[in-house]
Amino acid sequence: MNSPLYERYLIGGGTLAVFLLAWEFCADSGAVDPLFISSPSRVALAGATLIVDPDFWKDVRVSASEFIFGYVAATVIGVPLGLAMGSSRRLSYILGPFVDMLNAVPRVTLLPLLIIWLGIGIWSKVAVVFLGAVIPIVISALSGVKTNEARFLTMAKSFSASRGKIFGSIILPGTVPYIFTGLKYAAGRALLGVVVGELYAATAGVGHMIADAGNMFQTDTLFFGVFVFTATGLVVVALLDRLERRFERWRPKVGAAS
Amino acid sequence: MAAEGRSGVVTAETRAAAPMRLYLAHERAILGAIGIVLFLVLWEGFERGWWADMLHPLLGPQAMRLAFKPIFFSSPTRIVREAFRMVFVTGEIWKDLGWSSLEFMLGVSFALAIGIPLGLAAGWYRRFSYAVEPFLAALNATPQVAFLPLLVLWMGTGLASRVLIIVLLAVLPIAISALGAVRTVDVRLIRVARSFSAGDWLLFRSIIVPSAVPFLLAGVRLAVGRGMIGIVVGEIYGSAAGIGMMINQAGSRFETDKVFVGVLAIAAAGVALVEVIRCVERRVEVWRPPVGT
Repeated sequence: MNSPLYERYLIGGGTLAVFLLAWEFCADSGAVDPLFISSPSRVALAGATLIVDPDFWKDVRVSASEFIFGYVAATVIGVPLGLAMGSSRRLSYILGPFVDMLNAVPRVTLLPLLIIWLGIGIWSKVAVVFLGAVIPIVISALSGVKTNEARFLTMAKSFSASRGKIFGSIILPGTVPYIFTGLKYAAGRALLGVVVGELYAATAGVGHMIADAGNMFQTDTLFFGVFVFTATGLVVVALLDRLERRFERWRPKVGAAS
Repeated sequence: MAAEGRSGVVTAETRAAAPMRLYLAHERAILGAIGIVLFLVLWEGFERGWWADMLHPLLGPQAMRLAFKPIFFSSPTRIVREAFRMVFVTGEIWKDLGWSSLEFMLGVSFALAIGIPLGLAAGWYRRFSYAVEPFLAALNATPQVAFLPLLVLWMGTGLASRVLIIVLLAVLPIAISALGAVRTVDVRLIRVARSFSAGDWLLFRSIIVPSAVPFLLAGVRLAVGRGMIGIVVGEIYGSAAGIGMMINQAGSRFETDKVFVGVLAIAAAGVALVEVIRCVERRVEVWRPPVGT
């Protein structure tokens, strides 16, 4: 109880170390064939060779552009659409069924269709990333507008603030936390889209590399590919957290403000 | 007199506005239906060449681009016909639905059996949570489907690898919500129970579990969605049966109608499952006094 933070890192790091050592031992002692489970040292070695391999960087470039195009398009379209649907009742009535419908389908189901429409190149993956990410963004922006403080709105209206003024100074700032929640969730969905799209049909990309490595029993490369995705997920969420703090700096620290 | 005249005016106004009021009362349903119908007509029109014919005088031969080939976009009537055929005439969809449901049930059951105890234990024992949190965080940041080639390498493309990918996808939301549920239990309740010298087991049964259920169900709802992703991804990656396999096969044969039937079947199953969980949630919540906070 004296140093909980210290204890936390000690226990967390200790377990992680034990896990990695056990993994290494299993593989090296021959208890389990390293062909199947690889081992931390082999994965590190595979990583070291891949990092100097231009083909690997080509895969990274392809995956990154799929992720970035799809995710940025989802943000650019999803946030305004969600805000508009939240502000206009009629628009939300018209578009609501479509959003609900798309939300009910795992968007990766549409992958075979997207491949028929866009081919096995980068654009079918961009589309699946976009579809995966846009729905959570729209829904969170929409619910953000809906949960605005009614007191603020009443007050602004009593002082006869214009619609634009109300939107800019009350609705938008109040929605920021919701938008970021949606963006973070959408980042996971986007990454999922990249992986599934590339596992399913692709000619390049880190997901494609993983699938290839699996087919050729190169477990070391496979694990390194998975690790690349893990690192990407962590980095993207950390970046969004920073961005969110930047947007939230003006907000007074209150216990009740969520 | 004035009052009479006024009321007369009011009745006239209300009579005139009756359709308007009917519209306002059902605005959501009406606008929603209009949107869907317009979308379906637009879609059907592309496939049947309505728009191409209509715009032909204006655009000339360019207009023919608006007549899509059915193998690309199919059309609502084609999809309905195909669905009817697959469900009632040949019945071929039932076998795939059966396999997919089996995978889903097994996967989600295992995920519950692992996720709930893990999450509750991590929420209750601080040191245990320190030990497992790094793993949970790492797994949570990974798109878990990236493990699929590894699972296939270990277990082949049979049922086991598909069940395992569903477990892998569904276990995290369950474990994380169980962990959060224990952490948010009202401390006052625990203190009261402790003061009356309740043991760990009694505390767990009478305080932790009842207050954790709503959180857990929210986690289960998320897990159901993840499980659906698992079905589809596991089956399109390599499988001999199931809805995902059917979609994959139909896609590679350009049978777009069939692909849409599969997509709709999965959407319907997802909506139905989420509704069932919502029902359970309402059921479970009946005893709880409604509080503002």
